[in-house]
Amino acid sequence: MSETPRDTLLEVRDLVLRFGGVVAVDGLNMSVHAGEIVSVIGPNGAGKTSAFNCISGFYRANSGSIRFLGQSILRRQPSTITKMGMARTFQNLRLFKEMSILDNVKTGAHYRMKQHWFDALLHTPAYGKSERECEDDARYWLDFVGFKGDTSMYVTALPYGEQRRVEIARALMTKPRVLMLDEPAAGLNHSEKQGLIELIRRIQALGISIVLIEHDMGLVMDISERIIVLNYGKEIADGTPDEIRNDPLVVEAYLGTDEDEEDAE
Amino acid sequence: MASATIAPALKQPAWTNDRNVLRVLAIVFVVFVYVLPLIDDSTKTMDFMTKAMIYVFLGMGLNVVVGYAGLLDLGYIAFYAIGAYTCGILTQAFHIPQWAAVPGVVVACIIAGIIIGGPTLRLRSDYLAIVTLGFGEIIRVTARNLTIDAPDGSPMVRGPSGMANIEQWSFGGWSFTDGLNIGGMFIREQVIFYYFVTTIALVLGVFGISRLANGRLGRAWKAVRDDEDAAEAMGINTYTTKITAYIIGAVWAGLAGQLSATQQLSIAPTSFEFLFSALILMAVVIGGMGSTPGVVLGAMFVSLVPNLLRNYEWAENRYLYFGILLVVVMLFRPKGFWPATDILPWSSEKIHKWLTARKAAKAGKDLIATEEDTYE
Repeated sequence: MSETPRDTLLEVRDLVLRFGGVVAVDGLNMSVHAGEIVSVIGPNGAGKTSAFNCISGFYRANSGSIRFLGQSILRRQPSTITKMGMARTFQNLRLFKEMSILDNVKTGAHYRMKQHWFDALLHTPAYGKSERECEDDARYWLDFVGFKGDTSMYVTALPYGEQRRVEIARALMTKPRVLMLDEPAAGLNHSEKQGLIELIRRIQALGISIVLIEHDMGLVMDISERIIVLNYGKEIADGTPDEIRNDPLVVEAYLGTDEDEEDAE
Repeated sequence: MASATIAPALKQPAWTNDRNVLRVLAIVFVVFVYVLPLIDDSTKTMDFMTKAMIYVFLGMGLNVVVGYAGLLDLGYIAFYAIGAYTCGILTQAFHIPQWAAVPGVVVACIIAGIIIGGPTLRLRSDYLAIVTLGFGEIIRVTARNLTIDAPDGSPMVRGPSGMANIEQWSFGGWSFTDGLNIGGMFIREQVIFYYFVTTIALVLGVFGISRLANGRLGRAWKAVRDDEDAAEAMGINTYTTKITAYIIGAVWAGLAGQLSATQQLSIAPTSFEFLFSALILMAVVIGGMGSTPGVVLGAMFVSLVPNLLRNYEWAENRYLYFGILLVVVMLFRPKGFWPATDILPWSSEKIHKWLTARKAAKAGKDLIATEEDTYE
C-alpha cells in the first residue's frame, strides 16, 4: 500500500478508561499520521500514560475505538499490536535486567525470526541464519541509536542515558510504523537530551511516526510537528507548537486559574 | 529472592571472563563421568551416580521453568510421576519395548502440562506456586489410590504398592540385562544403564536445554522472567511462551521419571512426595537459577551428598543441614553458587570488587598520607 504523508495510521475516537470511580481517560480523540512527530503533553495525572497503555493494549478501554492501519485494535493483545507495527518504550526503563545488551535488543525480533525451538535444539542451518540476521539487525539498531561499547555486558552495568538508548533500539528492532516514547527524556542531562532530539529526528527520517509523551517543554516545542494537550483525561488542544503555546486553555491547565488553584496539580 | 541486581564489573580479569575456561571445565566433567565406571564400577557407585545423572536431567528441566521462565513450580515431581506411570502402564498393558513407550510418555506429559499450565499460567508468582503445589499433591494422592488391572486380569498398578517388574530397556533382541561384550570386556547391566542415563542427561538435559536457552525461545523465556509487560511490548506472546516452558519442563521430567522407573524396575508412589519437588527446586536455586553449570552442580550436590554421607549418623538429619545450607547460600550468594550472570563462580564481580577495594584503600592511604604531609 503506497501512502501519502498525511495518511492516518492511528485513530483514537471517544476513548474512555475508568479505574473504579476514577475516569483516567475521558473521551479522548487523537490521530497520528504517517511520518509525523506528535507529542502528548499535559499536567501530571492528565491520563497521558493511561491513554498510551490503552493504545498499546496493556489496558482495556471501557469504550471508544482505536484503529491502527485500518483495523480495530481495541481488544487485541499488546504482543499482537506490536506485531502490527506499533512499538513503545516505558516511562521507567523496563529493560530485561539479567540479559546482555545484545540479547535485550534481539528480543525485539522475536516475532519475525524464522526459527523453531527444534532449530535451536539441533542447531540447524535455519538457526544459524536467523541468529546471524537477528544479530546483524540488533547491531545495526544499536549503532543507529549511537550505542558504542561492549554489547555482551548486562544492561544494568550501563549508565541511565545509555539504557534509554538501548530501550529505543529494542523498540526499533520490532520494525514499527509508529513508535511511542513514554517520557524518553526523563532523567537525561542536557547533552543527552540534545542527542535524543537528534535521534528522534533520525528515526522520523526513516518514515516512522513518533508519538511522544514528555514533560520537557523545550524538547517538545523543538521537535513536535503537532502537540496534543490532555487534562483530566480529555483533549483540550491539538495544534502546532506555536498554537499550543498561545492557547488559553493550555495555559490554564498548566498554570491554573484563580478558582481552581488547588486542583491544578 | 533478593531482587538486588548486581551489575557485573565493567572490566574483568581476562581469564575469568573466558568461555574457554568453562569449556575446559565442561570437558573435564564429561570425561570424568564417562571414565568413572572404569575406575569404580561397583553396584553402589553406579547406582548413586545414575541417580545423580537423573537429578541433573530433572534439574535442567526444572531450570527451564524456574530459571529461565521464572515460574515457581513446587509440584514439578508430578510430571516425573506421570512419566514413570505412563511408561510402566504402556509397557505392561501392551507388551511393547521400553523405547516404544517414549512417545507415549512425551504425549502424556504435554497433555498434563497443558491441563495444569493452561488455566494457571495466567496467575503470577505466589499464586502459581500454590496451584502447582496442589497439583503435585493431587498426582501423588491419585498415584497412591490408583489400581489398574492389566488386560489379562492380573494386577498392574497396585495402589500404595505402585508398580513392579518394569521392563528394562531393550532394543530388538538385546536388553540391558544381557550386558555387553566389547573386545573381551564384559559390561554389566548397571554400567550400561549408567552410560545410557549419563548420555541422555548430558545430551538432552545439559546441552539440549542450554541450546534452547540461547535461541529465540530461550530469549523469550528470559524476557518474560525479567519483565512480563516489556516482553509483551516486544511482540512476545507471554502466555504461549510460558506454556512452552512449562511443557518442555514437563516432558523433561516425564523422561526422567521413565529413566528412574527403569533404574529401580518398580514405581513406588511414596517417592513422589513434596520433599522431592523441593529437593530439585533446591538444586536449581542453590546452583544458580538459569545457569547450566550451576544447576548441574546443584543437582550433583543434592543427590550425591546424602549418598556419600550415608554411613555417618548425623547424615540422617540431612534435610536439616540442607535447610541451613540453603539459608546460608541465600544470605551470601543470593543468586546461587554459580549465577547465570557469571561465567565462573566467584569470577568477575568478586575479583573486580576486591581489586577496586584494594585500589581505593591504597588511594585512600595516599590521600591520608598527603593530608598528613600538609598538616606537618
